Amino acid sequence: MSSEAPSRAEIDSGEAPAPPSWPWIVLGAVVVLGLAALTQFLVTWVPEVTAGTGFGQVADSIEFPVYAIILGFLGNVILSALRIRRRLAPAFRTEFFIKTGVVLLGASINIAVIVRAALPSIAQAVLMISGVFFFTWWLAGLLHLDDKLRALLASALSICGVSAAIAAGGAVKAKKEQLAYVASLVIIFAVPAIFLLPWLSGILGLSPAVTGAWIGGNIDTTAAVSAAGAIAGEEPLQIATIVKVTQNALMGVVAVLLSLYFTFRVERSTGGERPGWGTVWERFPKFVLGFIAASIIATIFLSAAADPDGAKAAIGVVNNLRTWFLVLAFVSIGLEFQASSVREAGWQPVVVFAGATVFNLVLGLILASLLFGNFQV
Amino acid sequence: MAGDIRPEDPPTQAGKFSVNEDWLATAVGLVLLALVLVGAIPVGVIP
Repeated sequence: MSSEAPSRAEIDSGEAPAPPSWPWIVLGAVVVLGLAALTQFLVTWVPEVTAGTGFGQVADSIEFPVYAIILGFLGNVILSALRIRRRLAPAFRTEFFIKTGVVLLGASINIAVIVRAALPSIAQAVLMISGVFFFTWWLAGLLHLDDKLRALLASALSICGVSAAIAAGGAVKAKKEQLAYVASLVIIFAVPAIFLLPWLSGILGLSPAVTGAWIGGNIDTTAAVSAAGAIAGEEPLQIATIVKVTQNALMGVVAVLLSLYFTFRVERSTGGERPGWGTVWERFPKFVLGFIAASIIATIFLSAAADPDGAKAAIGVVNNLRTWFLVLAFVSIGLEFQASSVREAGWQPVVVFAGATVFNLVLGLILASLLFGNFQV
Repeated sequence: MAGDIRPEDPPTQAGKFSVNEDWLATAVGLVLLALVLVGAIPVGVIP
């Protein structure tokens, strides 16, 4: 996701921002860390206390994203009832937590896997972005939506959710309310997908690589992709992340193309500055470089280590750190969530989002099966 | 227009950090990785 991606609280429109206050930010950080610690505790405690009961097997299969998101939502409800959630919101750094988690995830993936997965990932990203973008653009046009809202919806659905909508919003000069609305839709559709896709993958008997590619190509936000991947397993998580960061990396290209289209076709203006490679670099998600660097460093570290077991144990510590950052991100998803702007928006964009999501699911499954059917992690 | 979203717009809500989040996440992730690999964060410290 791009560096400009704000949290849900940031992009919510129509409410006066709270003044900055470090005591509230520190308190918010304590809330996030506390809920993350409670998540880690529940992951081991619930299976222990339910062992031997009917719920025991279910408890064993519940992964940490489930506890984290549920606790985040519960925290959201309580803090909202106490009317202090917005004051604490600056500490709910979903974007930062997930990006740091993705960088650390790079250390658990051999660089050779990233290199092998690069070609099918790029092919899937280009086909998915093109297919879903134009389908959404067409469907939104059918329902007579404004061109700018069409661009936001199409970008959010085809690339990477909120960040892509923000990039597209800048490119087409969309209104803040339109951006807030699309961002709300992204979150509303992403949360059920976190649970739905791993479940469907199991029912369809998909391989770990196809499951990962399907999750990475379909779910709109990187945080939700990581949550779904973590539920599906370690290998699906790795492939899902590679596919997702590839899609993210193409966001700048789409932003430039949209800028050109709206400058010369929709608004027929010739006076504006022409977007170029600078925009591509500006929109490039730089944490992808950290992800690749971590993979290279860990691959060299493991292959050059005099004590292979000690080296593997060290990477295990990195994995534990990664899990902490992912838990912090998933807790923040729940804490940041607010659906207020969706209520004011009318039904057409919801229909477009739902229709394009179904198209996205089907196209994603076909492409993932074709491109990752024989892939071994 | 006042309601436009521009790429260079700062975060709209007060209290957010202004440091580029991508680079910050990259730096924090790689520093943590380095600390683990040199043994500054030993096995068993992170639950």
